[in-house]
Amino acid sequence: MIWLYLDPGSGSFLVQLLIASIAGLVIFVAASWRKIKRLFNKNKVQNDESDDEDEDD
Amino acid sequence: MKTKTISLGASFRDPSGFLFTRGGVLYRQVNQDYADDYTRLMESGLYEKLVKAGLIIPHTESEAQPADEKRSFKVLCPERVPFISYPYEWSFGQLKDAALATLSIQKRALKLGMSLKDASAYNIQFHRGKPTLIDTLSFETCKEGEPWVAYRQFCQHFLAPLALMAYRDVRLNQLLRVYIDGVPLDLASQLLPGRTRWNLGLSTHIHLHASAQKRYVDVAVTEARGGRKMSKDALLGLIESLRATVRKLEWKPAGTEWADYYAANNYTDFAFEHKKVLVGDWLLRISPKTIWDLGANAGIFSRVAAETGAYVISSDIDPAAVELNYRQVKESNEQNLLPLVLDLTNPSPSIGWQNRERDSFLQRGPVDAVLALALVHHLAISNNVPLERVAEFFAVCGEWLIVEFVPKSDSQVQKLLRNRVDIFSEYTRTGFESAFGQWYTIQSSSAVRDSERWLYLMKRK
Repeated sequence: MIWLYLDPGSGSFLVQLLIASIAGLVIFVAASWRKIKRLFNKNKVQNDESDDEDEDD
Repeated sequence: MKTKTISLGASFRDPSGFLFTRGGVLYRQVNQDYADDYTRLMESGLYEKLVKAGLIIPHTESEAQPADEKRSFKVLCPERVPFISYPYEWSFGQLKDAALATLSIQKRALKLGMSLKDASAYNIQFHRGKPTLIDTLSFETCKEGEPWVAYRQFCQHFLAPLALMAYRDVRLNQLLRVYIDGVPLDLASQLLPGRTRWNLGLSTHIHLHASAQKRYVDVAVTEARGGRKMSKDALLGLIESLRATVRKLEWKPAGTEWADYYAANNYTDFAFEHKKVLVGDWLLRISPKTIWDLGANAGIFSRVAAETGAYVISSDIDPAAVELNYRQVKESNEQNLLPLVLDLTNPSPSIGWQNRERDSFLQRGPVDAVLALALVHHLAISNNVPLERVAEFFAVCGEWLIVEFVPKSDSQVQKLLRNRVDIFSEYTRTGFESAFGQWYTIQSSSAVRDSERWLYLMKRK
């Protein structure tokens, strides 16, 4: 077992796994969809990644 | 000569290191145990990126002697935050921004192969007007397939109180004063209105989370997860889900618009302008570096004070006034003004382990100057505090005092006396001067133009 300094809680772990797997799938699908869209609209400006505050600068 | 080394009361939980002060300088010792993670934080570019975004407190590596030589890897000298505040003193918007900052940090960390190992609201402080992580040792290297260990803490420290404030009552952030590790999720789940179950984020992160905790209380984590792993996309998805949930939470004072609120608190008359001039002139005369504006409302005089270059704590009992104040800080990018929710009749106590983890409000003083404008009548009449004890309280807070005396004939005081027997025979200008004279010498005084009010500049005896 990996040593942790906070007890993450078993229930919290499970809920997290559940939410994260669904949300992760959404992210994966959205990213793939963007890639597909980009293939078809090469000239269009991409502005659907609006959460720019977290984008690398 | 040996200078005394003092370990800080709040800094003991994390074995990665701890804070200490020596000769008035703040240091953070990084322990050997944490050497790899610290090196990774610095070398992966994460630290630099977070500093650039204003999301982490900058530090320099120091040659100072460690406080615990045997365990020490490095000693850091972090930039100092002028005033440590706590989540139960923040307005809704402040707690929300602190939550979003935490998620933003976690997202950036994940992208560079690290993760926050705690998500405590106490690790966030308002520095130069913005929520900033002050615990440099909060990161660990991401372990392949592992979930976010601080998820529960994030929900307790941020999501639960925010949801309660938005959906039930804004005063419920005071639960954080009782529960130092955040609002227990079963409690939050019970207190939240039933309609929050229709909010996907709250129904999962709070309600489902609370029932899962109850159900799996006796099951070990390894057993509960049964070998399931979490991909990086899943970790990022979790952060996105939390972020969307937090972002959707909003609060404004019931039945009012911000504009109405602002108008009701925004004086434009002569008296008010004269007060501004007097306060500004006196502050320039005494040039304090630190100021507490007590009962600051939405912070109009705090801004007069901040313009002199001082660092100003702008406190009020009304969460709506503080919210408005904070919105203005954000809008104008004000860096030396911190709005806080504070009930002066019961200021924040010292809490936590040995009552030493979180300092009381007064322990975080004293300051150079105190502003107490249109405040004394509230303390003396609504809260029945004798005038000399009001003076004593201010004298504990700071050396200089700019205080306003509002006489009984004023409509504001009449309002307070409306349903009361007038037991305040001492509440006259003479009585006020003699009571405050026990603690202060009056340096200047002036009637406020177009009003019956008086303003005083006093220095502690």
